[in-house]
Amino acid sequence: MTQVLQEKQRDTQRTSPRPDERRLRRIRTIPAVSTIVIAIGLATVAGPLYWMVTASFKTKTEVTALNPTMVPQDPTVDNYTGLITGSMPFTDFFLNSVVTSVVTAIGATFICALAGYSFSRGAYRLRSGFSLSILAVQMLPFAVLIGPLYLLMLKLHLLNTYTGLILGYTTFALPFGAWMMKGFIDSVPREIEEAARVDGYSRLGILFRVVLPLSLPGLSTTAVIIFINSWNNLLYPLTLVTDTEKLTLPPGLMQTFNGQFQFDWGGMMAATTVTSLPLVIAFFAVQKYMVRGMTAGALGGT
Amino acid sequence: MVILVVVIGYPIVRAVMLSVFDYSLITGDAGATYVGTGNFSKIGHDPVFWQSLKNTAIFAVVSLVGGGLGGLALAFATENLQGPWRFLRAVLLTPWAVPVIVTAFLFQFLFLDRGGLVNDLLMKSGLAHSPVPWLGSTQWSLFATTVANIWQTAPFFLLVFTAALRSVPNEVIEAARIDRTGAWVMLWKVKLPFLAGPGVIAAVIMTIQNINQFPLIWAMTQGGPGYSSTTLTIYLYRLVFVSYNLGYASAIGVIWLVVLMFISGWFLRRRRGVSR
Repeated sequence: MTQVLQEKQRDTQRTSPRPDERRLRRIRTIPAVSTIVIAIGLATVAGPLYWMVTASFKTKTEVTALNPTMVPQDPTVDNYTGLITGSMPFTDFFLNSVVTSVVTAIGATFICALAGYSFSRGAYRLRSGFSLSILAVQMLPFAVLIGPLYLLMLKLHLLNTYTGLILGYTTFALPFGAWMMKGFIDSVPREIEEAARVDGYSRLGILFRVVLPLSLPGLSTTAVIIFINSWNNLLYPLTLVTDTEKLTLPPGLMQTFNGQFQFDWGGMMAATTVTSLPLVIAFFAVQKYMVRGMTAGALGGT
Repeated sequence: MVILVVVIGYPIVRAVMLSVFDYSLITGDAGATYVGTGNFSKIGHDPVFWQSLKNTAIFAVVSLVGGGLGGLALAFATENLQGPWRFLRAVLLTPWAVPVIVTAFLFQFLFLDRGGLVNDLLMKSGLAHSPVPWLGSTQWSLFATTVANIWQTAPFFLLVFTAALRSVPNEVIEAARIDRTGAWVMLWKVKLPFLAGPGVIAAVIMTIQNINQFPLIWAMTQGGPGYSSTTLTIYLYRLVFVSYNLGYASAIGVIWLVVLMFISGWFLRRRRGVSR
């Protein structure tokens, strides 16, 4: 495709008697500028990440040395073993994060798929009202809700439980997720559904056997986004959990490194590296669909 | 749907009800006294409220402009990457997948007074003569949190703008080529207009997210020193869980809710106008 375009361009240039010098020069400056922009971007993105990973292998004295070193002079894995053997229940935090985020991602994506299908295909009177209100909910300040939510969980005896956290994360995830799934399902051609109906599938049968398999990229993208958001959530576990062993990673790390181990930067960077890994892996697994997901979901819109 | 109504609807109603009480989280229902509009009039002469409002505005606007321009530039730059080079775009998107708490800790580390990479680079390049206390001074703390936020959010714009660039119809680009449009003109006059729509939506989503940003600021500075990096979200959290003043916090929340409703109402009406 691009080759054809380039040939066409060359053709037009060949046929023109006086090639516009200035324009040609400008065309060449674009890749140069692009390269510079990309290089700056890469440095800004990779620099801090490189710094984090290398710092996690540095010794205590080296990590905050006045003349920072680019490469660990005396590489050590003490910071990582310290995570497991240290007094901080890092493995508990990690496990809590995994359980709550994974359950939320699966459960919420399922609900979002149902809601998205209903918004996309349903023909009932309150449909547009519902989808607009969901959009409005997305704009609510969570800090406003957290006080009353705390009282609610207190009365339901869901403080310090996985259930409480998962419920909280799910509500946090639903508005955006449902809206996104609507966009994905919108892009599944209606004709296929019609055909399935002729074949005698029920409404739910169509949804589970036809529509959802076709929107698998959408489902996985939505699930990953929900997973990332839940993994990131600090406000909910911070307020809804008071037992240290029940904390997830964000509040757990915060309590540890803003309190007791305040100056253990090496240990902190090791902890953050481990905390990042699941998300970065999940992200790279679906990043191919991300761009398409954004086009179809978040921006395809109402 | 039922869950949604209970877990989001109930808190809203409850917040409105609480806003007219002097309600403390310690004493609970028993200690609540009705104060009518007392909480609302208190907001008017609460300097911390106004400062956090100002901080919220600065944080949200600067983050939006920084992240948006960064994302736009990168989207244009990476538009024509071919084959394996496209991997670069995925790398550029990574900060979006880095947990917010990690970004917060990482930038705390980078912004260290002594031994921090930022100060080290500034001193070595001669831009600064003594270490800048980024997170420890009222002057710089908001700036430092904003920089971290831009680092985290620019990839979102890159993603959105890349998606939008793909949706520019080929015919338009063809037509422009035939008219022998120069590359810069192509960028500004032909492609940019197609990015306006998605750009506005992305900006609205991101503004909301910036206003609601809690983990990043809380983990980096907890709103300090003093109230220098306290945004409304941080202030509300402090009111509820540090000074247990739930009634007053709810009053602020209700006002905020009303303002946001107006903004989102306006946005939705415009949006429907656009798509019609």
